[in-house]
Amino acid sequence: MVDNIMKRKRIVMIAVAACITMAAQGQGLLGGHVTGNVQLDGQMSSADSTIGAQDVPEKLLMNARADILYTNGDFSAGLRFEMYQNPLLGFDARYKGQGLANYFVAYNGERLSVTLGNFYEQFGSGMILRAYEDRYLGLDNALMGLNVQYRPVEGVTLKALAGKQRIFWDYGEGLVRGVDAEVNLGSLVKAIGESRFRATVGAGFVSKYEEDETVPSAANAEMRLNLPLNVGAASVRADIGYGNWSLQGEYVRKGQDPSAMNGYVYHPGEALLLGLTYSQRGLSASLQAKRIVNMGFKSVRSQSGEMLYINYLPAITKNHTYAFLSMYPYATQVNGEQGLQGDVMYKIKKGTLLGGKYGMDVHVNSSVVVGLDTTVTGGAGTEGYEVKGGLGETLYGDVSVEMAKKLSKNVKATVTYAYQVFNPVVENEPGGLHHNNIVVADVSWKVSKKHSLRIEGEWMGSDSHYDANDPEHNDRRAGDWVMGLVEWNIGTHWFVSASDQWAYNDGRGNYYNLSVGYTKGATRLQVGYGKQREGLLCIGGVCRTVPASNGLTFGLTTSF
Amino acid sequence: MKHILPLFLALLMGTGLMAQNATLPQNITLRTIDGQTVQSSAIQNNGRPVIISFWATWCKPCNRELNNIKEVYEEWQEETGVKIVAVSIDDARSAARVKPHAEGNDWPYEIYLDQNSDLKRAMGVVNVPHTFILNGEGEIVWQHTGYQDGGEEELIEKVRELTQQP
Repeated sequence: MVDNIMKRKRIVMIAVAACITMAAQGQGLLGGHVTGNVQLDGQMSSADSTIGAQDVPEKLLMNARADILYTNGDFSAGLRFEMYQNPLLGFDARYKGQGLANYFVAYNGERLSVTLGNFYEQFGSGMILRAYEDRYLGLDNALMGLNVQYRPVEGVTLKALAGKQRIFWDYGEGLVRGVDAEVNLGSLVKAIGESRFRATVGAGFVSKYEEDETVPSAANAEMRLNLPLNVGAASVRADIGYGNWSLQGEYVRKGQDPSAMNGYVYHPGEALLLGLTYSQRGLSASLQAKRIVNMGFKSVRSQSGEMLYINYLPAITKNHTYAFLSMYPYATQVNGEQGLQGDVMYKIKKGTLLGGKYGMDVHVNSSVVVGLDTTVTGGAGTEGYEVKGGLGETLYGDVSVEMAKKLSKNVKATVTYAYQVFNPVVENEPGGLHHNNIVVADVSWKVSKKHSLRIEGEWMGSDSHYDANDPEHNDRRAGDWVMGLVEWNIGTHWFVSASDQWAYNDGRGNYYNLSVGYTKGATRLQVGYGKQREGLLCIGGVCRTVPASNGLTFGLTTSF
Repeated sequence: MKHILPLFLALLMGTGLMAQNATLPQNITLRTIDGQTVQSSAIQNNGRPVIISFWATWCKPCNRELNNIKEVYEEWQEETGVKIVAVSIDDARSAARVKPHAEGNDWPYEIYLDQNSDLKRAMGVVNVPHTFILNGEGEIVWQHTGYQDGGEEELIEKVRELTQQP
């Protein structure tokens, strides 16, 4: 099997190299250009019982990658080299190793785009198909195969693809095929294009094929499940606007798809995403609603974990960036959830009582996510459950108010208050709601033409309890926290920052960090020393657990 | 594979050394804030420079950069004719908030959505904010990653160098 993959890789590599050589010669060696980036991250960590950091036997961990893209007119070819020797803490150990992780040749014409090799793609909002990568989360479900995009007339986009998904250094066995069409009515119908009305509609279909295997039935261990070899998922969507208003919606449905994720039940999947926004200069408001029923969709049915997802189910909560606001992050529950989010931004004008000399920005956001209201009807091999219209248990809720104001020509302050309700069941931990109050003050001060300071203070009060006598069975986020951060920018190249997070009620150690960074053009070098709390690192609603670490980290990125 | 790789890299570097300035990738599909698809070739400014800024609604330094530039943007335009194109990399989680975010902040920029990071990848961007300057011919003449207060001074200085050339 592995031999076969190696052989296939070798053939594709030779083809890629040949194409590049031909293109280089065909256009004369002076043609085309090379762009790309290089990234290197290293970590040294030593044991620290106060924060639960383990010793790293190899002393130095390193992730590195280089993307190289050659473009010549409409033709391009790229490759990516990755190395994990050994993977940074928190990355899956199966990444260990190095080699070519991604390579492709592509033609991108005005009407037609064709990619052979590894590619990324998204249909609609991604709820039936999204091949993407997030290097910080160690996620990459790039498809290996063929991707075609055709734009016959302006406003019409047709896509077709087939391939297998990357999993670490291999490809999953499941075959993914998909088609998608999108039409912008304003470009096709002149009367619409000239009106204040805008509309884009689309539809897509994705199918995965996987060979049969033996999965015992829950009701009778002697019997095996009759597994569907082909599982289809379809989407319809629209994005409609009139004047300052717009309405976006996507509805997706998936056929019977028993898998390790849903406990091998045969309940069909569906999801609905709706968004309504109003915006004008200085004022905007949006409301989003989402409901997911059994929409986890992977190309290999026996896979759990974060790899091999064919689709992407966005979290409906705001992506908070301040440390304490993101300490208890919400991650989408692919087996079922329903939620709402509202967001208002308003600029209070200059010269008013609250606005003062420079005006003030107010940003209010709130979201709530609850489970589905279900009745269990059976285990593996059955429909599994019935979904009713009510609300299930509370999974997450938050409301945040952020006010940003320029106090003088050189000083700007932002104050945020947030209230959060968090249910640990979203991280597969025992339930029971935590309630948190969080206050953040963030002041930036342009001291002189060359120097600027940013000072951040955060506080979090939580009713979650940390038991110092039993650190192994504790959520190390529990308890009340304070944090301070000072960031000093020198010119536009250097920065130095120092921060400390401290759970002040229960005698735990401090999580301090010192960092120095240097940026010039598209190159950035950063070195840090300190203690990192274990926890979830989340980007875009997808999370991975990062273990505690204690020591030196460094990172280098450059684009060219 | 071991034998092909060095050869291949040497070839790439060879072509790289002899290559011209990289240009803006032409046929990457983006979305306008009104939901229409456009090709990246739509990013242009009638022979004058363009600043492309990759950002996201959740990215604090990006927001600081775009808010700070807003205060001087009119002067920049009068002086150099430069146009700022802000490309959001927000994915489905926050893409619906890009338009309200931009209008709520009163940004006068041309805004596109790059929901699955296709243009970001094609331009070799690692992190946001990441800023490019394109000259009148669409060639990438400068790029910068990250933002620190005052970074916009360096940006406009580079644009001036372009427009003041004889």
